[in-house]
Amino acid sequence: MGGARCMASKGVNEVKSFPDSLAGLKSQGHTLIGCFPLYPPLELLHSFGLTPVVLWGLLQDITHLALSDRHLQPYACGVARSLSEFVLSRGSEFFDAMFMYNACDTLRNLPEILESSLGRNGTPIPLFRLHIPAVPLSRAFASVYLKERIRALIGELEKFTGKAFSKQAFLRSTALYNRQRRLSLDLEHLAAAGRIRFADCSGILLSAGRMPVDDHITILERTIREFNGRAPGHQGIRIMLSGILPPPAALLDAIERAGLMVAANDIAALRRSYGYLPSASADPGAYYEDLYRNRYPCTTILPSADRRLETVMQTLRESDVQGFIFVGEKFCEHEYFEIPAIKRMLEAAGVRTLELEIGMDNALNLDAYRTRIEAFAEMLRQGARGSRRNKDAV
Amino acid sequence: MPSEEIQGEFRKNTSGKRLSTMIMNDYLELHRRASEGAFVVWIAIIVPAELLGGFENVVYAVPESHAALCAGKGAGPVLCEKAEGLGYSTDLCSYARIDIGTAFDGGRDSPTFGLPRPDLLISNNNNCSLLVKWFDVYHRAWGVPHLVLDIPFCYQNQNDRDFRYIMDQFGTLISAIEEMSGQRFDMDRARESVRLSSEAFKEWKRFLSFAAHRPSGITAFDSFVQMAPILTSRGTRRLVDHYRLLADETGEQIKEGIFPVPDERYRLLWDNIAPWHQLRKMSGRLADLGANITSASYTYCIGALEGEYDPYEFDGNDPLAWLARLQNFSVCPHGLNLRGKAMKEVIGRNEIDGVVFASNRSCKVYSLMQMDQMRYIREELGIPCVMIDVDHADVRKYSEEAAFTRLEALLEMIEA
Ligand code: SF4
Ligand code: SF4
Repeated sequence: MGGARCMASKGVNEVKSFPDSLAGLKSQGHTLIGCFPLYPPLELLHSFGLTPVVLWGLLQDITHLALSDRHLQPYACGVARSLSEFVLSRGSEFFDAMFMYNACDTLRNLPEILESSLGRNGTPIPLFRLHIPAVPLSRAFASVYLKERIRALIGELEKFTGKAFSKQAFLRSTALYNRQRRLSLDLEHLAAAGRIRFADCSGILLSAGRMPVDDHITILERTIREFNGRAPGHQGIRIMLSGILPPPAALLDAIERAGLMVAANDIAALRRSYGYLPSASADPGAYYEDLYRNRYPCTTILPSADRRLETVMQTLRESDVQGFIFVGEKFCEHEYFEIPAIKRMLEAAGVRTLELEIGMDNALNLDAYRTRIEAFAEMLRQGARGSRRNKDAV
Repeated sequence: MPSEEIQGEFRKNTSGKRLSTMIMNDYLELHRRASEGAFVVWIAIIVPAELLGGFENVVYAVPESHAALCAGKGAGPVLCEKAEGLGYSTDLCSYARIDIGTAFDGGRDSPTFGLPRPDLLISNNNNCSLLVKWFDVYHRAWGVPHLVLDIPFCYQNQNDRDFRYIMDQFGTLISAIEEMSGQRFDMDRARESVRLSSEAFKEWKRFLSFAAHRPSGITAFDSFVQMAPILTSRGTRRLVDHYRLLADETGEQIKEGIFPVPDERYRLLWDNIAPWHQLRKMSGRLADLGANITSASYTYCIGALEGEYDPYEFDGNDPLAWLARLQNFSVCPHGLNLRGKAMKEVIGRNEIDGVVFASNRSCKVYSLMQMDQMRYIREELGIPCVMIDVDHADVRKYSEEAAFTRLEALLEMIEA
């Protein structure tokens, strides 16, 4: 395990803070569109020459919530609060436009709050919206509705950018994003094989939200090249992580120090974002029907609820995982409604679980978690010894 | 929603007394018909029960309404704790925790012995999408089919595209129920059910209109309590009769000079779900201060289109079209502008002196716009406002003294 800890990747060091990344892009002349999480239609925005960035993973950069606290009660989740703070404090400096869709109840409440506040300050930002059906897209009317909405969004983007939609540009964008997805999965596999620390891998994967897709691809390619040939340096009891965001680096570090190894994840900003590769299509309606219908299940994609349990079980089996850590985003109801059912299912399958909860107030003070992680690791070790003894006895 | 007598003399009229009986009968009837083989559907509050009225032997239960009843009867904490014991976070909506606590304990501690097991779950996401997650809990535990109505959030009034989308979903819903229940949907039955609901909503608004009188003929607490049958008797003649009686009697009381807060000095508006565990206490203590919460966004939205106050009347034609158009009637699916529009209207009509924003951590959808809405009401309309913390159904998350310190400060602001 120790050997892997010093493997600092160039890719990891290339990941800048959110504001620094955006400032850099702005100075290079990018037209930035700030997207609310979780799964915006990045390819479409990109095909119009916009550079979409996804506003999550801001917790490390946003530590004061002075502006957000004027608009949102403290029981909004950290993603929404840090997003609001960032948009209100620096949105007009960075963003030429914003985009949101009906990802969750908290996010749907934000557009008018942000719009009216920015408007009052004389710094309005155009906002695009989309409603993605929350019923199965296998129903013809739902697919028709999604396509109508996509068409309307295309019209608005044409007006905003002054460019006509281009099938070629869209195909190019979808190819880029699929390449990024494929590479992201490859990088994850390197982590699962112990060739790169998951903490480093997750930092690189999460940074997809704050940089142009081609830059991200370059980092992914370079990192994969660098680590592909290395001998597995990181060993440990294999666990799976689940949640909206990966835990802060300090916690990932604690997980590894405790002798655990993240062999799989079901994290919205990671695997759930790139776990499905849609088929190429020059028709955005068909492309997004495929993507939103088949994408990796998520607590926020309501029709994927049944598939989610199966997918978690399948991933556990494939990754030979012995423990499961929920990284709860405080106040995220979508996640918390699912945890008991998944926990029961895992425990029935003999997989031990640990629940951690990260909120705005404890994101930077993680000491209390370390002890729990160590205790969990010890429990898994004892479990492993026990099952070895049982096997020997047989 | 709970039924209880609120203001001593004032509520002891026929409609007030008949409310408890009506609600109890509705639940008994539900259990009886379920045990005799009716097809049982659990629906979210905004799912159009009138559509179910198009079937001969389909009965429905509304878990949110049942949870409110439990909270009003003081069973909130014990039922929440049961759900928490099963691993459901204390941060989840208290309605959901109460309901899960009841459902997985065979209806124990519920004043209605819980709800009969469903054959089908129908949720929708226009109030909140957590309802979908909540119903998924039962879908997983019991293997009961779960259908979702997807209602796009409204930042503006409903448009044609969304209307058509909702109509299409109603079609799917009807076919699914036909197939599962083996019954045929009868459009005329549904039409009659819609006609009765529309009539009932008119009477409901007539009852609420007495809040414009000085002193007010009602308190918002009356409306909280009296909205219960909308969730248990929607689309029935008895609902129309009940609200007609309620409105008539309230009118009579005004003529006779009987008022809930006779020495009313402050006329307030409540924004959020009713504080079910505090109805009697809060209304009584406010009355002692000469304050009456006369109106509430939670109850004035019923039967109206988004951003409006007056009821949306049925024209006698397509009942499904009326239901689809009215799918956004509650406050939660409304953006800031629509909420502000309706509130401004009510503040004007009912001569409101101050607004109480009940910040409710259980119901983020209702609450997470309130800080901006409060700013709008205060700055644009010049009406004093206050925000208090209340969980609508979990009394453990409410501090009476903290709330009243703020409420008293509001009254001082109004005086100033
Ligand atoms: S963490 Fe949950 S509640 Fe917060 S924005 Fe994401 S999905 Fe919504
Ligand atoms: S969160 Fe609010 S709208 Fe949703 S079920 Fe709870 S009380 Fe109702």
